[in-house]
Amino acid sequence: MSTETTEGSEETTDDEPASSALETWDRIKHTERFVLVSAVVFVAVFPWVFTSLPLIPNDLLAYDQLARLVLIWGIFALGFNHLLGQTGLLSFGHAMFFGGSAYATALFANNVVADPFLSVVVGVCFALVLAVVTPFILLRLHTVYFAIVTLAIAQMLYYMAREPFEGITGGINGLGVERSPLFGLVELGADIPGIFGALWGTYMYLFIAAFFVAVVVFITRVRKSPYGLIFKAVRENETRASFVGLDVWRYKFAAFVISGFIAGIAGGLLPMETYFTGVERLHWTLSGDVVMMTVLGGLGTVAGPILGVIVFLYFEGVVNGLDVIGGYWLLTLALAFTAVVWKYPDGLWGMITSVSSRLRSRRGDQ
Amino acid sequence: MPLLETRNLTKTFGGLKALDDVTISVDQGELVSLIGPNGAGKSTLINAITGMLEPTSGEITYAGTDLIGLDPFEIAQLGVGRSFQTASIFPELTVRENIQVAAFATEHGSFSVNFFSRRDSYDEVRDRTERILETIELGDNAAEVAESLPYGDKRRLEVAIGLATDPDLMFMDEPTAGMSPGETEMTVSLIRELLADWNMTIFLVEHDMDVIFDVSDRIFTLNDGAIIAKGTPDEIKSDPAVREAYLGGEAE
Repeated sequence: MSTETTEGSEETTDDEPASSALETWDRIKHTERFVLVSAVVFVAVFPWVFTSLPLIPNDLLAYDQLARLVLIWGIFALGFNHLLGQTGLLSFGHAMFFGGSAYATALFANNVVADPFLSVVVGVCFALVLAVVTPFILLRLHTVYFAIVTLAIAQMLYYMAREPFEGITGGINGLGVERSPLFGLVELGADIPGIFGALWGTYMYLFIAAFFVAVVVFITRVRKSPYGLIFKAVRENETRASFVGLDVWRYKFAAFVISGFIAGIAGGLLPMETYFTGVERLHWTLSGDVVMMTVLGGLGTVAGPILGVIVFLYFEGVVNGLDVIGGYWLLTLALAFTAVVWKYPDGLWGMITSVSSRLRSRRGDQ
Repeated sequence: MPLLETRNLTKTFGGLKALDDVTISVDQGELVSLIGPNGAGKSTLINAITGMLEPTSGEITYAGTDLIGLDPFEIAQLGVGRSFQTASIFPELTVRENIQVAAFATEHGSFSVNFFSRRDSYDEVRDRTERILETIELGDNAAEVAESLPYGDKRRLEVAIGLATDPDLMFMDEPTAGMSPGETEMTVSLIRELLADWNMTIFLVEHDMDVIFDVSDRIFTLNDGAIIAKGTPDEIKSDPAVREAYLGGEAE
């Protein structure tokens, strides 16, 4: 009792107000509620900042659909990062979950019910099946062998979708996708009335944003669970992890399934957004894009991969359309990527955190 | 009944016999040491017992359970812990997290479906972690990233991870290698504490003969994969075969 009171009073008297504000901030920023609030605030203001920020020339602003694509790819990058950033497994075949789910969603929507939610759920289920079956081959392998075989499996699915199953998948022409109102009630393509319409555009944005926030909250919880710690331990020293008594295979399996599940959500949302799906969503270049986005933004964090997606899609969707420089968007992006990763191996997010901690330590010196 | 027993354990790599018909037994509560020149097969023997290597032939039983064919994590779950020759830690985790990983494996088994519960809600894991931190005197560095510790502390953390698995039998592979005299002394007193207060059985591999003769109840001597002598420190000191193979060579 008495020790508790002395400790409490010490805390309030010893700390200077400025440093205690920083300490409070440090405590808050690691709570789950803070992550939830941040995710909600982000999805609430992001489209407006991205597409309509005042004083920015029109050429440099993005368009409504790009904001929705950022959230979809953001989900994908978070799923990918869960495997590489948390558990240390580099997959070069995440297109299999993305494209697989996209096809399952599209086929369900076209042939059974075109409800967006149900279709996405079916797509996710298909991605889950892939994520449960493939580890029996993949998890025997390590490092580069794991990466190559994930790539091989995804490419196998790509070629299967392109030729033998052309009648179902539409082959290289792809497949138009139907979409009915959500639960028969809300037409997702309709504009949201009033001020919220100006902020967010159509109901489709809210539909995608709901998945996005749910994924961020889910991932944060997993990171704060025993799994989050054990995944990192496996990444750091697999041998040691097994010698403390952990069934490393099963934890890697769990990480793989969680990652495929989240990638499947993104894959299912995309055909609902674009009314289309095609074999290129199974192609290895798509797996490569998500690697680049995640590494550019910052591996192992939640904010990093999303930041990477924003920059990548901004280059692809906006810089691409600029006059002179537009033709060189990919080159510009590649140069930016190399420069960032060379100076800051932890990516753009690592750059931001290292700058902010340098500012803080300078303040502390004074 | 002995706690650990190997019978006619043999391991060959190609034509090389790394372990040759090794038959040893360890009783509950003992401290046994394994000595032998470099390349005698000491690490091979530990690796075979703890599941890292599959022996070519022979038997290993621990507390009545056959260990042959079990995975390292299954053997660890039975209560066989080990610390490694190199500081085998989780470098980017904090000191506390390093121990927590092992504490989770001890309290919740080799695999547990709890990916949706917060890990700070596990009191038993926290208690075990804090107790280990205190025993191994790493409490002041608990929040530091393990990578940033000095070498001696990394080795102690490595032993701490082994301890957090709550072993009944602990293999310690050269725990004092690369340590300063002060750190070695600290490790020796830790070993004594483990025997006395933690009721542990310890299987020690060590190069420091002063440490070996100081703490061991019994000593096995390995040469070219075969056991050439077993006995108390005094018996080993005066054993002609040991002197020739090992001690004599060193004294010259």
